[in-house]
Amino acid sequence: MELAMLAFERPAIDWHAFAPELVLLAVGSILTLIDIVYNERARRVMPALAAVGLLATLVPVLTLAVDGADRSMFDGAFVVDDMALTLKALFLISGFVVVLLSVDYIRDGDYHENEYYSLLLASLLGMVLIASSRDLITMFIALELLSIPAYMLAAWRKGGATSNEAGLKYYLMGVFASAIMLYGMSLIFGVSGSTQFDAIRVALDTGGDSAPMVTLGILFVLVGFGFKVSAVPFHTWAPDVYEGSPTPITAFLAVAAKAAGFVALLQLVFVAFSGRYDVVEPFFWIMAALTMTVGNLMALRQTNIVRMLAYSGVAQGGFMLAPFAVAGQATDSAIQAIVTYLIIYAFMNLGAFAVVLAVAKKTRSGEISSYAGLFSYAPGLAVAMTVFMAALAGIPPAGGWVAKLLVWRALLDASSVQGTVLAVVVAFNAVLAFSYYAKVLREMWMSDAPDGDTSPVSVSGTLTLALGLTVLATLAFGVFPQLAARFGDFSASFAL
Amino acid sequence: MSELVRSYLTVAIFAAAAVGLVGLLLGISRILRPQRPSVSKQMAYESGVDPEGGDWAQSQIRYYVFAVLFVIFDVEAVFIFPWAVRLEVYGLFGLIEMFIFIAILALGLGYAWRKGVLRWV
Repeated sequence: MELAMLAFERPAIDWHAFAPELVLLAVGSILTLIDIVYNERARRVMPALAAVGLLATLVPVLTLAVDGADRSMFDGAFVVDDMALTLKALFLISGFVVVLLSVDYIRDGDYHENEYYSLLLASLLGMVLIASSRDLITMFIALELLSIPAYMLAAWRKGGATSNEAGLKYYLMGVFASAIMLYGMSLIFGVSGSTQFDAIRVALDTGGDSAPMVTLGILFVLVGFGFKVSAVPFHTWAPDVYEGSPTPITAFLAVAAKAAGFVALLQLVFVAFSGRYDVVEPFFWIMAALTMTVGNLMALRQTNIVRMLAYSGVAQGGFMLAPFAVAGQATDSAIQAIVTYLIIYAFMNLGAFAVVLAVAKKTRSGEISSYAGLFSYAPGLAVAMTVFMAALAGIPPAGGWVAKLLVWRALLDASSVQGTVLAVVVAFNAVLAFSYYAKVLREMWMSDAPDGDTSPVSVSGTLTLALGLTVLATLAFGVFPQLAARFGDFSASFAL
Repeated sequence: MSELVRSYLTVAIFAAAAVGLVGLLLGISRILRPQRPSVSKQMAYESGVDPEGGDWAQSQIRYYVFAVLFVIFDVEAVFIFPWAVRLEVYGLFGLIEMFIFIAILALGLGYAWRKGVLRWV
């Protein structure tokens, strides 16, 4: 071999594009370092440091957004564009709200605090990275980086059997999903000879001879992510994990981890597999219809609020999967619908979990019946919960209706039989979902408090801040729909 | 629509082959093997010794810490060996890069040390 071939050329690194990841990595390392030096004495400052670190990470995201230029590194494996930045900001803000939710819960429960926040930041680093990954290996590493800390966080209530079950179940299903996904990735790599999304797209377009391989590869990868976003029939782990995990982590898994799965799907479907919509569309059609319907039917029967929110989360995931079923027929409006739905879903669901946390502090119960008479002794919480339930059900002026409308528009934009039929399924499910959200509303507003106990609920400052943020965002998106639509319009990002 | 059927036919064939292969292997061995069960054959295999007591027993857990710590050095070795071979070519850039990587891994070891994991209890 000639020596010239072996010469090493340093890859060009755009430090500005990489800044969000580097800042987050630095903050996480500093948290660990503080833990090493001060040990338990550092407990009290950890949540504040983590929150400040997340806000500091938002700064380079903002400067990149102001700068506006699309950046690409490592032969296109790492891309920073408007969509990546919006999703990074979404992950960071969700992470910030989760830290706010965690402060009291983790401190009062006497769990390990220092590790909790560094693991949370590590998981968020994976999410921030996945928003930029346009390469199978980068995507897989980002996915594992966000999943592995989450397995441990799910089991954080060490003493509780349900939490251990949650951690173990989440870990086993997660590893199983990764294995399936890797198998699919290996098939795709075998056919295309590249791990890069742009190269894969070109190779899949022309690879006529190996069509069966391509179909199998695409399906295995999508099934793997189906587990991650808890789409039916790969959702069975979700309710148990959500119920057993510490509630702030449940919120984190239901919002941020799920959003990360969808972000990966967006990049895979609209960049890497964009030549093979014929394979992708029917798969998502069936998954979306099943996910919505099964999620809603199961949610109807739940008596525990966290389990109900878990199944409602599965059903909401179905609404987000629906636009993928018309990925090729109405590409632009499908991307817009999915991203907008992700943003609004994050705020309304985080808010609902914030109320659950606040109420559980007094009632020590997760039963829906324990919400009876909430309005009589905690009117603020009852009103906030009403906003979130209305948003999840899709009633204006709370945010959710915009998201549902955009999904509907994308399906009808396709002007095909499949799209229209799925739109009908979506409409049917939206009505079905209303009944269980209304059950919570009825308990809060109509019923009397159990045992006439109307002592007020004490809501801490951090929880109030989290509630304020989420209520404000949920209402803002509902009252100014153009706001959400603006954030979701990224057709240019995938202009090929 | 025929295009759809054709591309998903692969999936059906693949699934049928996967299930069929397992069935075939188990089926053949079932047909071929002689079946003469006896009491000692039905016993759980314990290296030829008759099993004693229940199957739930406590086992020593303290080795797991070393298994976990091993991962730190394992990951380090995986990247250091190819790097060391080509260090001349990578130059100063490679040297700094690797030290950053080692520093991050060292953080993990330092953490384990501080939490008293390295002490044998």
